[in-house]
Amino acid sequence: MQRKTVTAAGVTDRPPSASSVIAGLGLVKKYGAVTALDGIDVEVEEGASLAIMGPSGSGKSTLLHTLAGIIRPDGGQVLLRGERIDNWGENRLSALRRKRFGFVFQSGQLLPELPAEENVALPLMLEGLSRKEAVTRARRWFAPLGLDGLEQRRPGQLSGGQAQRVAIARALAVEPAVVFADEPTGALDQATGEEVIRLLTSITQMQNAALIMVTHDADVAAHCDRILQVRDGRISSSSRHAGTGTSRLPEPFGASS
Amino acid sequence: MNSPALSLTWHFARRSGRRGAQAQVLAAAAAAISALVLLILLAAWVGAGARADRTAWLTPAPDRNGTAIQALGTTFADGKPIIVVNLAQLPDRPAAPTPPGLSAFPKPGQVYFSPALADLVRRLPANQLADRFPKTSSYGRLGDDALAAPEQLLAVIGRAADDPEVSAAIGGGDAFGLTDRAVISGYSGTTAHPFTANDWVGILLSAGLLVVPVLALAGAAGLLGAARREQRLAALRLAGATPRQILTMTGLEAAAVGAAGAIVGALAYGLLLPALTHLPLGIGTWYASELWVGVPSLLATVLGVALLTAFSAVSALRQVASSPLGVAQESNPRRTGMIRLALFIALVLYVITTAKGDLKPSQVVALLIVFYGAVWVIGPWVVDRLGRVLGRFARRPATLLAARRLSSDPHSAWRTVSGLVLAGFVAGFFSVAQLSSGGFIGVPNQVAVSLPSTEHRPAALRKAADRARALLTGAGLNAVVHTHPGGDLDDESLLFGSTGITVAVAGGPAQIDAAVTALTPLSGSSPPFTDKDLVGGDEIAVAELRTVGLATLAVGFLIAAASAGLTAAASVLDRRRTYARLRLTGTPLRVLNQARVAETVVPLVVLAGGVTAAGVFLATKLNKALGAGIDSAGTLQLAICTLIGAATVFAAIGVSRPLLRAVTDNPVQQPD
Repeated sequence: MQRKTVTAAGVTDRPPSASSVIAGLGLVKKYGAVTALDGIDVEVEEGASLAIMGPSGSGKSTLLHTLAGIIRPDGGQVLLRGERIDNWGENRLSALRRKRFGFVFQSGQLLPELPAEENVALPLMLEGLSRKEAVTRARRWFAPLGLDGLEQRRPGQLSGGQAQRVAIARALAVEPAVVFADEPTGALDQATGEEVIRLLTSITQMQNAALIMVTHDADVAAHCDRILQVRDGRISSSSRHAGTGTSRLPEPFGASS
Repeated sequence: MNSPALSLTWHFARRSGRRGAQAQVLAAAAAAISALVLLILLAAWVGAGARADRTAWLTPAPDRNGTAIQALGTTFADGKPIIVVNLAQLPDRPAAPTPPGLSAFPKPGQVYFSPALADLVRRLPANQLADRFPKTSSYGRLGDDALAAPEQLLAVIGRAADDPEVSAAIGGGDAFGLTDRAVISGYSGTTAHPFTANDWVGILLSAGLLVVPVLALAGAAGLLGAARREQRLAALRLAGATPRQILTMTGLEAAAVGAAGAIVGALAYGLLLPALTHLPLGIGTWYASELWVGVPSLLATVLGVALLTAFSAVSALRQVASSPLGVAQESNPRRTGMIRLALFIALVLYVITTAKGDLKPSQVVALLIVFYGAVWVIGPWVVDRLGRVLGRFARRPATLLAARRLSSDPHSAWRTVSGLVLAGFVAGFFSVAQLSSGGFIGVPNQVAVSLPSTEHRPAALRKAADRARALLTGAGLNAVVHTHPGGDLDDESLLFGSTGITVAVAGGPAQIDAAVTALTPLSGSSPPFTDKDLVGGDEIAVAELRTVGLATLAVGFLIAAASAGLTAAASVLDRRRTYARLRLTGTPLRVLNQARVAETVVPLVVLAGGVTAAGVFLATKLNKALGAGIDSAGTLQLAICTLIGAATVFAAIGVSRPLLRAVTDNPVQQPD
């Protein structure tokens, strides 16, 4: 059977390229009688972004979680920089998610008790950085993300858009290889969502991190390099998109330095 | 009643899902434990009263125109106190009424034993006990009506009115007050026998110490699952529900869950009642009828717990009702104000200035409750400050998480540890509340017989001593008899300067019992006695207080463990979404659990330590007020109790670790 891999450059017949950060090959996942993933191949390269779209129940979130090592596939492989990770133990996968991946969810990923800067610093502290160093590095993200002066605010004291920008800062603070975003604008109004997604795509690109995002919103998806349509666990279409994020980059910042 | 609120409440209760149902089960469990403990406390209170009433016939009010003479005394055998009631019909008076537990007034020479005493008489050689009573062909059996406990050792002896046991010095006692004699016309006494009179004091103290933690646990039942409920009701509020509808729904749901739990607690009380009767206190175990609180009290307890649960839930939700956005967005940290510190200082100053001089037990209990209230006021404030200080210096992620959680919602953290903090107070209180016997050392291996002052002449004393020697020799005992003419205080003698003889007995307790038995005929008006007779009553009271103390501690730790375990589990359920997201992004379960434990350990160490010390302080004050000594060995008991309590609470918190794992494992369950 001929295998086609979706890349940032389009659908190809070749195995994952050497430049791919993360790739899924022939991914299969079943929930009882329901086949959520039915042999999907996907690949994302450094600095590239991929939007996964599809109706509810199509398997798009399952694909995201499988690539992120949260769900173990029943068939196929997940490769991170060419190394297979889907057969790793849970502890190793957990450490991988902490060190190499960043996550942005629709809402609720911030700890309500922690001020914004500590929410961003927490993954760095978990990595062994001292609290002082972790907070210092976390603070670097606030100005570029338009969060200046909100460092001490708790998530509940932030607007939805501000909270999502803190979540983006937290996801990027560990300098991840891949950022996974699951409906990151789902709880925001259109204007705020637009602003958040522009920041997310542009900053991940500047960080040279891959971005994989699940969304229902075509306008949001339009910010990504590629859009993948999933239906019944299969790729129904894949299209290259110019993306709008890079054209509206924020002021340069040295957060990753 | 607002029908939409009722139907919505029912709808949400049914559709709350598995986690929602778990929170409701936890809340019901808290209500059940509260109701059970409250009913046990109530049963102990009712039982103490019933028991006291059942001994009141032993001390009827004297009546100069009465029909009988009663002489009430206590003798010890095998280390146990035996109450002896001598009854004699007065000649030329109407027939005396029948005492409880008997079918007729006892005739001279008739002897009736309680079942437990009959067993003891059978078990011990006759020269150690049976020979103290009049010889008879068969002993009668006292019915339960005469007894306050199945194990009570009680003898009722029929006498002739001119027998020295009843005739001497009517209206007063002997030199040591070991026998009380009175002319009586019936048995409707109002004064409990000393052996049961102290029951209620211990139980009152126990209830005073436990009632606040129990009520707090019942209140916590209304707060379990609060976050889930707040989110749901905040959404309803945003959707247009009125504050009244919100509060009605909350109250109805919490009251229903609280009532369900309280009914389970009441059923558990009913099922445990036979087992509770086997718990010994003071003179023995209980009759089931003594510990039955009655249907009205049972219903009142269920209703009270349900209302308390509802009140607690409604109080917690006032914020939702007034500011839906506030809770929906979790924007208001539940901080504590300095007013708490001021109120705490005022209450403690009141306790310190009041806890001096003579205090009635009810005043002690009132002070305990005031002090509890002070601790309840300051608890969240201390937790808040601890969280802030810890947050400033935390280096590890788990410590930082714990610190921020403490200062973010100090009330919730306080609820988790309050049970053990207050149990620590109980431990501190009872560790030094082991009243000693006023410094009396006793004169071991000595039997004394107090003789009437008319026999103080040397010849009479010598005659009594000779007779004592003959009686002891006849009993085969190796003993040395001394005479005491009286007047000089002598610490080496149980007579302490009174007229009489003392006997130094070689051997152990059996020989002492045999000597007491042998010397019983020596002076009918004043039976022989040992140091047991002088301090035995105090020893019973001290042992009773120790029993109550240990039982209070055990129940206190049960409440503490239940409180900590249930709130910890509810906290996991309330925060399961955040926990799941943290696990999903790679936060180790270990860190989450360490944060949970630190959240409990830090306030526990500070607050439990401080409050335990306060318990020691208050108990010391109480002991001084009662003029009793301090049991220094209580320090070890305190340390052990605190360790056991801490271990129990940690175990209870540990129980929710699998729940934490369960709610964070497989964070993504659905296909999409």
